[in-house]
Amino acid sequence: MIADRILGLALIALGLGAAWSAMQLQVPFAADPLGPSPFPTTVALVIALCGLALLLRPMHGFAWPERALAPPLLVVAMVGYALLMVPLGFLVSSALMATAVALLFGARIVASGVLGVTTAVALWLLFDKLLDLPLPRGILSL
Amino acid sequence: MDVFSALGGGFGVALQPGNLLLAFIGCILGTAIGVLPGIGPLNAIALLLPFCLALRLPPESALILLAAVYYGSGYGGRITAILLNMPGEPSAVLTTLDGHPLAKQGRGGAALAISGIGSFVGATLSVVAMTFLSVPLAKVAVAFSPADYVALIAFALSLLGAVSDGPAVKAWAAGCLGLLLAMVGVDSGTGVERYTLGSLELLGGIDFTVLAIGLFAIGEILLLIETRLRVEAAKLGGGEPLRLREVIFCLPAMLRATGIGFVIGVLPGAGASVASALSYTAEKRLNEANGKFGQGDMRGVAAPETADNAAQIGNLVPMLSLGIPGSGTTAVLLGALLMYNITPGPLLFEQRPEVAWGLIASMYIGNAMLLLLNLPLVGIFARLLTVPAWVLYPGVLALSFAGVYAASNSAFDLLLAVAFGVMGWLFRKMEIPLVPIVLGFVLGRMLEDNLRRAMSLSDGDIWALVGSPVSMVLWAMTVAAVLWPMARALRR
Repeated sequence: MIADRILGLALIALGLGAAWSAMQLQVPFAADPLGPSPFPTTVALVIALCGLALLLRPMHGFAWPERALAPPLLVVAMVGYALLMVPLGFLVSSALMATAVALLFGARIVASGVLGVTTAVALWLLFDKLLDLPLPRGILSL
Repeated sequence: MDVFSALGGGFGVALQPGNLLLAFIGCILGTAIGVLPGIGPLNAIALLLPFCLALRLPPESALILLAAVYYGSGYGGRITAILLNMPGEPSAVLTTLDGHPLAKQGRGGAALAISGIGSFVGATLSVVAMTFLSVPLAKVAVAFSPADYVALIAFALSLLGAVSDGPAVKAWAAGCLGLLLAMVGVDSGTGVERYTLGSLELLGGIDFTVLAIGLFAIGEILLLIETRLRVEAAKLGGGEPLRLREVIFCLPAMLRATGIGFVIGVLPGAGASVASALSYTAEKRLNEANGKFGQGDMRGVAAPETADNAAQIGNLVPMLSLGIPGSGTTAVLLGALLMYNITPGPLLFEQRPEVAWGLIASMYIGNAMLLLLNLPLVGIFARLLTVPAWVLYPGVLALSFAGVYAASNSAFDLLLAVAFGVMGWLFRKMEIPLVPIVLGFVLGRMLEDNLRRAMSLSDGDIWALVGSPVSMVLWAMTVAAVLWPMARALRR
């Protein structure tokens, strides 16, 4: 219930914000009769209306995770992967990420390490050698 | 151009060695994806799309590969449903009812065989229907004015509330969110920046692959990591093989299921899940006297699997002929075509026959491949289930990131994909359906462009939107599609 009410408020805020932002748009010269604002404004107001409906008639709760720590840790691993892929290169960053994610999925340390390196090397061979796709090389200039 | 010469041209495209190979790869991947829990056709196509673009596959080849994954997945979902009582795809739920009892009686192999044959019958007959129906449907749509198109898209979006699993309000909110996300960037009509939040990277808009991979691949892995996923080893009992007599016995059920599945598939909104449920119920009612449904009736396996595949193919018809996708996966396929600067719709069959007819021809070939692949090799696919999550998902994640990077070469897009992943995860936990977001996203541009054209034609008169009989009917249906779930919710 409470989750739906918060969602309703968030949708109202998003809808009103988006509508306000759309109404601020100015076109230097009026070339077509529609302009940039009416469509986003309408869509945003529908979102706000949906939010209002949810606020007044909330339905469902939030399903709390069984392992509450795992999703945030996975997000941290993914953000790290996104930030490190260019400086470290695909091979090294993928090996690190895959090891960390395998650990999060409950694998043992040695197995995770082996899997991480294998996954990274296999994908790198597939992309770089077989398909000739440009992926960051980073610190290993192979 | 008549249908047969057009189809012949399509076979000329589909039979090129490279395209045959892609169809074959797609069929294998599709079946595998149907088996694996947590990866559906939608996620898989989203993952493959950036590689198609980065490898500069021509659009018809990319579509042949992606579509093969799509209809191939219809063959895979049944394997887990029958052997483990666990549907690999939502549309395989009904298959568990009779499939699993059959497996327990030692006839798992026979159940898999009949469902494979059913999938083939449903898909192939639907491709035949599609061959003859697509162009006439497209011809009707050519006559649609921009105002009619506005009404048609509004109707498609309003239907989301009526047919989606969750509450209607959430489906509409999600659809509108998809429309808003599509507006990010420079507006093509006026050159004004919208919703870029001052970010240079967002000026060009949000890349479709980033949204799809984030929502479906990354979001799904976040959901999977919450629970320790355990899958018990599958057993494929030897048992009595399927007899020809049993196939003939199931044939009428398969033909009925094909009809139900194809029609449901062509209609906007409803998809394969509805079709398989409807055909199962129909068979159960029709054969009340001589059936043992629920305890292992062959027809109870054949009907939903046939309908499932027929509906999948049916879903492609409005996507190709009208440019309006009927399901989440066809929305991603539409997104794929748009990334290639090809607008599906009435003119596709005339302007890009190699794309439209190449795809249709490849589906005849692909379904034959799938039948051959699935009858003898079903055991190998079933063994995929024993691959543990910690082996599979790190690789899927690396694949997602490599895909996003290969398509855009930007670290910003990687972070954006993670953000969409978190959004997709949270939304699923709050029962906000994700399919309307992609649907809104791919339809947004088309909706606004047609709105703009309609307004230009009428010189800004808003009543022109309801000026034609077609648009009036469509708007009336839209209003009904909005009011019906609301009335249902109020009565609650």
